[in-house]
Amino acid sequence: MSNKMTKRKATGLDTPDSVNSDTDASDIRQAVSHFSLETYSKRRKTDDGPSTSELRDFSSLPLKDDHVNRPLWIEPEKGRIIVESFSRPSRGPKTFSSELQSHNLVLFAAVSIGWTTSDILHRLKFYCKTAVPQAIQDFIIVSTSSFGKVRLVLKHTKYYIESSDEQVLQKLLRDEVIGACRIDSSEEFTKEAAPKMGALAIPGTKAAAGARQAEVAVQERPAEDEDDEVVRQEREMLNALREDDEEEEMDQVHSFQIAPENAQKVSKRCREINLPLTEEYDFRNDEANANLDIDLKPSVQIRPYQEQALSKMFGNGRARSGIIVLPCGAGKTLVGITAACTIVLCTSVMSVVQWRAEFLKWSNIDPSDILVFTADNKQQSHFNKNTGVVIATYNMITQSRSHDAMKILDFITKREWGLMLLDEVHVVPAEMFKKVTYSVASHCKLGLTATLLREDNKIEDLNFLIGPKLYEANWQELSQQGHIARVQCAEVWCPMTPEFYTEYLRANTVNKRGLLFTMNPRKFQACQFLINFHEQRGDKVIVFSDNVYALKAYALKMKRPFIYGGTPQNERQQVLDNFQFNPATNTVFLSKIGDTSLDLPEATCLIQISSHFGSRRQEAQRLGRILRAKRRNDEGFNAFFYSLVSKDTNEMYYATKRQAFLVDQGYAFKVITHLQGIEKMPELAYTTPEERRELLQDVLLQNETAGEAEVISEDLFSEYGARKTKKGARRTAGTLSELSGGQDMAYIEYNKSSNKGLKKKKGYQNSFMKGLARKADRVAAAKRENEGVYWCPGLKDNRDA
Amino acid sequence: MVKALKGVLVQCDPSIKAILLKIDADSGNEYIIEDLDEGTLFVKESKVASLKEKLKVTLKETVRENTDSDSE
Repeated sequence: MSNKMTKRKATGLDTPDSVNSDTDASDIRQAVSHFSLETYSKRRKTDDGPSTSELRDFSSLPLKDDHVNRPLWIEPEKGRIIVESFSRPSRGPKTFSSELQSHNLVLFAAVSIGWTTSDILHRLKFYCKTAVPQAIQDFIIVSTSSFGKVRLVLKHTKYYIESSDEQVLQKLLRDEVIGACRIDSSEEFTKEAAPKMGALAIPGTKAAAGARQAEVAVQERPAEDEDDEVVRQEREMLNALREDDEEEEMDQVHSFQIAPENAQKVSKRCREINLPLTEEYDFRNDEANANLDIDLKPSVQIRPYQEQALSKMFGNGRARSGIIVLPCGAGKTLVGITAACTIVLCTSVMSVVQWRAEFLKWSNIDPSDILVFTADNKQQSHFNKNTGVVIATYNMITQSRSHDAMKILDFITKREWGLMLLDEVHVVPAEMFKKVTYSVASHCKLGLTATLLREDNKIEDLNFLIGPKLYEANWQELSQQGHIARVQCAEVWCPMTPEFYTEYLRANTVNKRGLLFTMNPRKFQACQFLINFHEQRGDKVIVFSDNVYALKAYALKMKRPFIYGGTPQNERQQVLDNFQFNPATNTVFLSKIGDTSLDLPEATCLIQISSHFGSRRQEAQRLGRILRAKRRNDEGFNAFFYSLVSKDTNEMYYATKRQAFLVDQGYAFKVITHLQGIEKMPELAYTTPEERRELLQDVLLQNETAGEAEVISEDLFSEYGARKTKKGARRTAGTLSELSGGQDMAYIEYNKSSNKGLKKKKGYQNSFMKGLARKADRVAAAKRENEGVYWCPGLKDNRDA
Repeated sequence: MVKALKGVLVQCDPSIKAILLKIDADSGNEYIIEDLDEGTLFVKESKVASLKEKLKVTLKETVRENTDSDSE
């Protein structure tokens, strides 16, 4: 299979790929999946990807009688499954089809959430228009027979390898690596009844509410804590069930114990021999770790899809490790909290703060139980009680060096954690973050992300590091249900001005060119126009630019506040607060730091002026900033996403690439070549050639580095806390008047950062002093009037004099 | 004595014009007789075909290149 194909696979289960050209144009088909039939693809070496494949005729295939009602096609040669998205019943099998693509990992995911081989085959046959090719059936049977058979279960704080099939276990034991890891050496396996679902109610759902009420009535004791409550319910239920068990003789599972330090080794080995382990955590039987006093607030109702995601996670009454994929703004955080009791890892300090706020908002957790661990906040190194929630950045866990940090790190690594929550999990595959998953001993890992894709192929590592994908939501469905905002996407083509284009052609480095097409005056005008237009409509606008030089240039010229990596924390907060609450601040410029985890529900319009090459993830994450728009449920409300692209440049190429993911999710990009009425806009910048030339000069003077994307410290994408070099004293000759700012020079700030304007006005805070000042003013005014001087209220200096 | 030159009037986008100018400059003023205004050029008649060819090549180069610089 070509590299291209495997790359596509990473876009995830429910991402339909666009139609390939060889299918009938009138048929709106979506190639939902591409098989990776490793075993069957060898004979087709010549084939390299769907785009180049020539016409193939399958009309000879016999159709079933009622094929009109069956939405699936299977292409027998390549084993691709095609779903007719227009066909009515395709609504039904949606959940199913998304789980059924015969890529190895996909099948693994399907099996791990409880699909059996015969289930899969049966469904496939049911929905397929034609007979399912034998080769594919074989492939499914072969792959699934090895998947999901063996589970790594953490129970009573001991690791067990568990399986319902004794022979599989025998096979494992015969393997020299795994056999060596076993603790007890007897030949017998431990037998017990298989765990059951049904005993566990997910908090926040109706079932849980009901159970809680019943419990309160019976026990006359308030429900206090999520885990405890669950445990108690289970005991009741289990008691009931146990009686059934005895009668029915339930499925038996066999298991043997392995040493905890070898768990990783075994897991890796199993993968090598094609028996991937599903990691489960039997938290109900965990007596060693204290339960945390946490529950969702009674008023909180989790949404159906959140419930679905969680029910997959707690599939059989045990917690599974895995990844949940939900669009940005769809309430990933809440899913996380519902599942949490825990260590949370996120990408930046900003998101640490937000996670903490979310915990307090949604659950009744005691604020002192939440421990925040960031570069600025690392004093507290223990819980007040014996449990709690730790929120930290990935960076702090992987590479802190200071004494305080080491103390906390010790505390974290020495403890066992019930659940490790990895926010924005798509970043984890970066080498350094592998360390996190190994160094922190957690029983269960839950990854959260909106975009399970990377431009490199490392997304598959996640399967190994965390677990299979448990749930993925359909963006369009969520927006139809009103959980996320409806978005109008547009790509605005801005022609390059001749001067800029000449320079663009002459430029010989990527950075320089990037700078030129970002600073294109026409793009600037388009941006200005769109900001004005949307501010007048009452929208709150975010403008994204990867390039800091451009960010500053745009923001200063348009007199709007901006935030980038170098903005101090308190100034950032100030700007964001103003953006949220101040009706006069409707636009904010953000650099790359705003891409992920920044929660700004006010934003309804997004303009992108420069971006990271062809990164699909960035595009989706940025779109995510407006999906959670507060006003999304207003009648006819639309959020807007503009991507400004300079025509005839590389940017055009990147733009198409970037949009691939969103297009897969069902978004359509409108192309705007001309903004109506842009010429008539008053105060339009860079209308004269002189101004443009001036701008060009300025851009050309910028050195190489200005064209680079920002390097952010305190975040994922950079080394931790770049060291500052100390500046020594310097002696120079000069005149005193120079130092005093004299010499006929006056200081005028032309391009004033409007960040400063947002700061509080200085003045007397004390009411007594205010009173005095007012009195003095009055006296001075009276005096002026007596002297016959006209006092203009706008001129402050006048009044003070 | 008036000297007359036969040429072709080329009308195009400003950006395409910039490319043409560059091609011209690179080859030592072989193509263009006169730069008339933002979207118009006066080009030697005999060179039009080869200019077209060169433009095609350059366009291909400028719009698609260094595609592998994204690592995320």
